[in-house]
Formats: sequence, C-alpha cells, structure tokens
Amino acid sequence: MSDTTNQLLNNLNSLVTGLFLLTAFGIVAMRQARGVLFLFIVQSLLLAASAVLLGLRYTSHHLYGVAVVNLISKPIIVPWLLRKTSPSEVYTRREVDQVLNIPTALLIALALAILAYFLGLPLLNAVAPEFRGPNVPIGIAGLLLGAFTITVRREALPLLIGLLVMENGAFLAGIDIARNLKMLIELAIATDGLIIVFIMSVLTRAVQKQVGTTAVGELASLKETTVEPADKPANHRNDDERIFNNAR
Amino acid sequence: MFNHILFNLIQVLVVMAFAPLASGVTSRLKEMIQSKRGPSIFQPYRDLWKLFHKDEIVSEDSSWIFRFTPYIVFVTPIFVTLLIPVLTNYPLFFAFMGDMIGGGFILALGGFFATLAAIDTANPYGPVGASRTRMVGFLAEPVFMIVFFTVSFVAGSTIPYIVQEKWVTPPANFFLPSHVLLVLAFLMLILAEGGRIPVDNPGGHFELAMIDESKSLEYSGRGFALMKWGGQMKFFVLLCIFLNVLVTPWGLAGGQTLGAVLWAIPFVLFKIFCFLLALVVIESSLSKLRLFRIAEFLGAAFITSVAAMIAQVFLP
Amino acid sequence: MSILIILLLPLIAAVLVCLPLKKAWAPGVTVVSSLATLILSARVAWLVSAGNSVTADLSANWIAVDGLSALILVLIAFVATTAAIYSVGYMAHGNLKLGKLRLYYINYNLFVFSMLAIPVLAEPTLVWIVVELTTLASALLVSFENTREALEAAWKYVVLSLMGAGMALFGFLVLFAAMQASGSTAAYTWSHLIDAAPLMPPVLLQTAFLLILIGLGTKVGLVPMHTWLPDAHSQAPSPVCALLSGIETTSILYVILRLFPVMQAAPNSHAETWAIVLGLISVGTAAFLLLQVKDYKRLFAFSTVEHMGIILTALGLGASVAGYGAMQQIVSHCVTKSFCFFAAGAVLLSVETRQISSIRGLIRQSPIASAALVFGGLAITGAPPLAVFLSEFSILKAGLTQKEYLATGLLAVFIVVAFFGIMLHVNRMVFGAKEIEADEHANSETASPLHRFTASPLPVSCKLALVVAAVPVLVFGFYIPQPLNELLTQAAAALTK
Repeated sequence: MSDTTNQLLNNLNSLVTGLFLLTAFGIVAMRQARGVLFLFIVQSLLLAASAVLLGLRYTSHHLYGVAVVNLISKPIIVPWLLRKTSPSEVYTRREVDQVLNIPTALLIALALAILAYFLGLPLLNAVAPEFRGPNVPIGIAGLLLGAFTITVRREALPLLIGLLVMENGAFLAGIDIARNLKMLIELAIATDGLIIVFIMSVLTRAVQKQVGTTAVGELASLKETTVEPADKPANHRNDDERIFNNAR
Repeated sequence: MFNHILFNLIQVLVVMAFAPLASGVTSRLKEMIQSKRGPSIFQPYRDLWKLFHKDEIVSEDSSWIFRFTPYIVFVTPIFVTLLIPVLTNYPLFFAFMGDMIGGGFILALGGFFATLAAIDTANPYGPVGASRTRMVGFLAEPVFMIVFFTVSFVAGSTIPYIVQEKWVTPPANFFLPSHVLLVLAFLMLILAEGGRIPVDNPGGHFELAMIDESKSLEYSGRGFALMKWGGQMKFFVLLCIFLNVLVTPWGLAGGQTLGAVLWAIPFVLFKIFCFLLALVVIESSLSKLRLFRIAEFLGAAFITSVAAMIAQVFLP
Repeated sequence: MSILIILLLPLIAAVLVCLPLKKAWAPGVTVVSSLATLILSARVAWLVSAGNSVTADLSANWIAVDGLSALILVLIAFVATTAAIYSVGYMAHGNLKLGKLRLYYINYNLFVFSMLAIPVLAEPTLVWIVVELTTLASALLVSFENTREALEAAWKYVVLSLMGAGMALFGFLVLFAAMQASGSTAAYTWSHLIDAAPLMPPVLLQTAFLLILIGLGTKVGLVPMHTWLPDAHSQAPSPVCALLSGIETTSILYVILRLFPVMQAAPNSHAETWAIVLGLISVGTAAFLLLQVKDYKRLFAFSTVEHMGIILTALGLGASVAGYGAMQQIVSHCVTKSFCFFAAGAVLLSVETRQISSIRGLIRQSPIASAALVFGGLAITGAPPLAVFLSEFSILKAGLTQKEYLATGLLAVFIVVAFFGIMLHVNRMVFGAKEIEADEHANSETASPLHRFTASPLPVSCKLALVVAAVPVLVFGFYIPQPLNELLTQAAAALTK
C-alpha cells in the first residue's frame, strides 16, 4: 500500500483511539446510567473500528474477525443481556453521590491517563516498530480508567461498565501488540464481556431484590471488626443530603 | 502589499456586514425547527437601523466607562478580524501582529469592559450577569489555553494562518486525533463563550436566568446598537476562527487577485451556514444547564482538550 | 483421551442434574461424576508419574499435562469429590426447594469443570478464559444463600476478581508480544514460552509477569488484593468454601507458578524477589489479622491467605531447592483446608452461628464437630505430625540451606503467630466456659444463640466426607507414597528451568 494510505490509516487509527480515551473519561464522570451504557457502546464500536483499521493497515485479516466478534458481542448482546437480566432500575438511576466529586475525579483520571503514557513508553520501545501504535498507551489508560471508575462509582451499572472498560482497554492494546494471536483474541472477546455482564446483572438483580437498591457500592457490612449484620442499611444517606448534593 | 491591506479591509467589511445576518439566520432557523415562521433573516439589520435612530439615555450616576464600553465592544472584534483568516488562506498585512492568544486577549478586553459597564450603572441585574459571565469565562480560560498549547504543539506556531495549513498538509492530518478532539473542545467553548444553549439561552427574557444579555440591559439607542452589533461580530469572529483555522481552510481564497478573494465570500458564508444549522440542532435538542452544572460542561471541554493533547503526545 | 473425558464429565453431570427427577438425583449424579473424575485423574497422575506423556489425541497444542498439571488435576478432583459427598448431607439440611438445589449442583459442576480445565490447558489465553469461568460459576455459589452479606461478599469477589482478570488479560497479551519480540513463531503455549524466554525483551517479560502476578494474585488472595477473600470464603455454603479455599486459590496460583520457569529462563529477572515480598506480606498480614477475627469461617479464610503466601515465599526462596516443599505445601493445603471447612460446616450445622464469641463449650454440644474442628485447626496450623507440618518444615529447611535467614525467620515467626491465632479461637470455642458468653449477653438474652443449641446430628454423608478428607491429612504427615513423591518431584522440576 502507498505511503499516503498508510498514513491516513495511521491517523484514523490514532483518531479512533483518541476518541476511545474520551469515552473512557466520559464513563468516569457521566451521571446517567443510560448515558454510561451509551458511551460504552460507542467505545466498543471504536474498538472494532481500530481493529478494522489495523487490519487494513497491516493486512492482517483475522483482525476483521476480531471486529466482527466485538461488534456482535458488545454493542448488541451486552445491552440485550443487560435488559434481560438486570432490574430495569439500573437504567433509570442517576448517580448523584459518587465517591469523589466529578471535577476531582476527572482530574485524577487525567493524571492516570498521563501515567498510562509513562507506563506504555518502555513497552513500546521494546517491541518492533510496526507495533508502536497509540493503542498500547491508550489501552493502558483504558485499563486504569476502568479500574478508577470501579473505585469511584457506587451504582451497579457504572461499576459493570467500568469492568468492561478495563477489558476494552486490554483488548485495544492487544489488537496492536498481540495482533498475531489468532483465534484466541476472538474467543476471549466473545466470552469475556458476556461472562461479566451475565454474572454482574444476575447479582445486581439479587441485590436489588434482597437489599432494595442497586447502589451496590453502599454494601459494606462485612468487616473484620463487626460480624453482626448491620441493623440498618449501611451508609444510606438520607434524601435531603442527596438533593443537596444534586444541587451542588 | 497594497493588495493585502485591501483584502484585510474587505475582511473587516465582510465581518461587519454579515455578522447580523448570521444572527438573523440562526433565529430564523430556530423558529423553523420549532414549526414557526420566525422573523425575517434581515431583522437584525432593521433592529440596528432603528436603534441608531433612537435617543440614547445614559444614567447620571454612570461614569465614562459606561459611555466608552460600546465603542470598545464594537472595535475589538474588528481588530481580531485583522489577525485571522476570514477569506484568504495566506497571511495578510496584519497577520503577524498577533497570534491566537493575542486575539483572545483582544476579545477578552471587550468582555472586560462590558463587565465593568454592567457593574457601573448599579442596575441590579447587571452585576449578576457580569459575575456569571466571569464565572463562565474563568472556567473557559484553561480550555482556551490547552487548545492553544495543543495547537502550538502540533503546528509549532499559534499564528492562525500557519495553524490552518497544518491540518490539511498532508490531507491525512485532518484525521489526527488532536485535530478532531480540539474541534470538539472548541465547539463546546463556542457554545459557552457565545452564550448559546446549553450554557446560556440567547432567546431568554427572564433577567434572573440571564448570563450574557443582562450586561447590556441599561443601554439604549446608539450604545445598545453598538453593543449588539459588537456581540454579533464577536460571535462571527469566533465562528471564523473555528471554521477556518481549527476545522479546515477549505473554501478560502488561494489566489492573490481581488476576484478570488470576493469569490471566497459565498464559500465562507456557506460554511458558516452549515455550522449554524448544526448549532441550531444542538440548541434545539439540549436544554439549558443549571448554573452550577456549567462547570461540568466546561470540565468536559477541558477533558476533551487535554485528551487531544494526550493523544498527540501518544502518537509514536 | 482421558483428559477430554475428565473435562467432559462435569459438563455432562451439569446437564444431567437438570433432569426433573427426585431430590436425590442431582447430588447422586454429582458424586458419581466427581468420583469418576477422581479415578481418571488419579490414573492420569499415575501415568505421568511413571514417566508417560499424556496428551489429548485431538490436538497436542492446547492440552498438555506434565507433573505439575497432573498434581493440581488430581487435587481438584479429590476436593471436588469430598465436597460433593459433603454437599449431599449439608445441602439437604437446609430444606431447599428442588429448583434451588438443582441450581446449586449445576453451578457446582460448572465450577469443577472450569477448575479442571485450568491445569490441563496449555495456552495462556485459554487458561485466562477458564479462570474467568471459575469466577462466573463460583460467584453464584458464593451468593447462594442470598442473604445481604452473601450478596455483598459475592459482589466484592466478582468485582475484584474481574478487575484482576482485566489486568491479567493485558499481562498475557504483553507476554505474547514478548514472545513475538523474541523472534519465536511457535504456538503460544507454556512450554514454548520457556523456550522463547531467553530472547524476550526483559521489559515486556517483567511487565507481563507483574501484571499477571497482581491480576491473578487478586484471585489467589495475595495481600494487598485479598479483601474479598475472607468475605467470600466465609459467606458461601461450607462445601463451596472447601472448594474455593482449598482448591480454587491453588489452581489460580498454579497459573502464576507456570510463569516462574519462564522468568528463570530469562536473564536477570526478579521473579523471586517479587514472590518473597508479596508472599511474606501475605503471610504476615494474614497471621496478625487472624488474631482479631470474630467469625470462625473467616478464620480459615485468612489461613488460606497465609498459606498462599507461604507457597509463594517458598517459590521465592528458590524453586530448585524449595520447589518440592512448595508442591508438598500445595497438597497439604488442599487436603487440610477442605477438611477445615468441612469441620466448620459441621459446627455451623450444629450451632447455627458463625460468631466465635457466641460459641463456648462446643465439646459438650457436638463432640464430632468439636473433634473435627480441633483436628482441622491443629492440622492447618502445622502441628506435627500432620501434612502441613511436614511441608512447612521442608520449606523452612530449604530456606535455611539457601541462607535466606531473614525471609525464613520471618516466615517461621508468622507461622507461629498464625498457629496461636487459630488455636486461641478454636480452643475458646471448643473448651471455653459458658459463663463468659452469658456475661457478655446478660441483657440481651435473645441475641445469644447459646440457648437454642440443639445438637442436631451430623448427616452421614458429612461424617463420611470428614473421614475421607482426614485420611490424607493424617497420612501425608509421615508417609508420602512413592507415586505421589514422584509426582511432587516432577512438579517441582517443572518449576525450574
């Protein structure tokens, strides 16, 4: 292929990864559960797009397979499975009290993204030049931001999406540096997201039935010091405080 | 040389002449999207004409600031016009007098005086609007900075003419992540700075909810006309920076002749019209944010601009 | 071929369990299939120990069994069998609905399947997928009792395990990149990794190792990532706890162990240092946390953290010297820990509380459960002449011959602290005077379950499971059969290059 085409593909791939990073930031901060799901779907589409672009760029046809599997499993089956298995409450929830307030969370997320760059740099220097795309640092950033999402969120759906973002990040890096790992990546992508979604939504449903909320992050009765079941739901803030936080 | 001065003046005239039109088209489109007929797209010209022929009332207790501000607000966008590419994709006479940051400062000067004037008359709504404008301004400032830094990082310069060229040579550069993300971030900035939904409602008539409008409540007659016209020109200039410098220089005149420059006018107006269409769709599909949520909106813009920078750094 | 049958048996059982038959059907099928699995695994282990190579006929690429795999395989099958026998009585005790019971056995068999697949699969990515499957199946078992606490435990377990799995996934992908960067074009399997290791870029290899160590270490319960383990391992039904604590942690640890020969083949890797640091931190933290535990199932859960730390430390002391001890420790941990949870389940059945402070003088209430608890406590803390004693002793000895005095000394101290921690609580529960308890709850009579002690008889199958599980704990303390010895040697050899 000609140099201009290659450069165009490289730039398009960089663009796709840049947007991937942006969606990861959005998932950290977005309040509406449904919005988080939407961003995740966009992110999965971007992952598939990156696979296609890399496949074109390096004429590595099995990456198309990765893209197809990814397109089927994440943007289609994951939301469907969620709708089937989790209580509808998870969609309508707005998360008004994250562990950190949103600007702080975003600043930390930024710091993590920059950290990801420094983590990715030595890895990039160690591999052959054709693997040195922006996928690795941004994949690491996705991994870190997903983990960060899990730590700052309390609602079930954003937590679940946080896990999926971690996987997406790993795969985004994987389709670049482990491009030649045929079949296995497809298999991993196909099974993994579904495992996560299935198990988490079944648990969410059980939690919602048993405890009456999908704010799973507020479950905190198991500790070393107390084994007595808590008398009242632990850590439930009263509604006034919620409204106050909302207004703030 | 003489040509370039002439083209510069033509740019100024274009901005002065078509800024009210852009505003008229926007409000007409907006009404149409709400299934109404809406005012004529030339209504802003009639408003200006009418205002210029009315008497001006100035409060006894106001100082010179109040009287001078309309002229400053009117003149600052014109100065900026001299610095940026409105019609040509090659630098004109004044192009190297200031870069994008300089242009930002000049626009900020107008905003600064408008704020002072709003406080000057002791109208109760003026200071409210002024302080809100400042809040938005403070929050938008870091985004502007990051955008400019990223631009200079990519293009090696902040002179608008050099920047615009960078995005299309080679054409694949158009898809650089830094470019697309910067455009996104700057779009959000335009919404904030231009006082559009979701930050501010330009069509609102409720003083307590106003951000931008309430600053010129005390003006009448010629002063009000200048303030209004200045505001429209500022928005037009922002659009020119956005569309011609940040998005793409396509459609600008490449030739040195007068004809080529005049021929560029319909293209530029067409680009602006397309953007206004998009803007109207955005405005109609979103609702105004609560005041304290504006911080989050601009936070999103900030993140986007930083993502642009990070993506640029990540490029191998 | 027998490997494939081993893998298929639990799957078939999981399907058969669904048949709408009588209540005894599901447990029966599970017990029979696990017994068959055990026999087949033992045969595989026998063949491997005799030096025969066992591969699947279909494709040698993605299934490979060496000494280490065979050892883990037979341990999984053993614990799965005893836990299946134990489940028969234990689950019948709760008067569950038939559907719920079936659900339990479906998940049980799937869980066993996913664990059996870990040691026999040769491709790291496939192993990673089955590790995810273990999380899937076991999470539903942890949340089986469906109480608020059980759900919380399951949630924590799932979130942390999956977070770890995400990191491990990236680690495995980096590992593949490292293999590719070394110029190797062979298939991505454990053995080819070892071949490629000397030429791998150290940065990639180290990063991959750390990512996998931390990612899968989360599921093993190594200390900074252990927070879910006591919750999940205490809230699940007791037979599941035996599986989780006894064998799941070990089989995940096996995946980490597979990386040690790779790291050793590479020049100046620091795998040992990391292993010693993480291992000692785990042992130390767990030992001291044991002292303040208030729930006797958590007691054994923390002991699992401690044992995982011991195994990792042993690896760190030098796989060539302490490898045998580490393998021995894996064996003794599996058999002893599953026994401990059976004992804990027996106690739970007879007193229906998990709190240590609510149980005093158990010996008068339920002699069998008490005896099992004391035996389990002594066995897991390494009292001579039981299995754990022997393995811990050989690890410490190896540490001393390696002249790693600091690490060995710390390890010894922590083991002693853990001994006191566990025996203190067990002693109070079994022999403690009732008066202490009565004082504490003087004003809240209803809060104390002491008064409704009904010495419900232990189901026969539970007794049987206890006896079967106790045999290796006793025997391996002073006698290791020749085939097992051979297997342990081979497994230890697989850890070095």
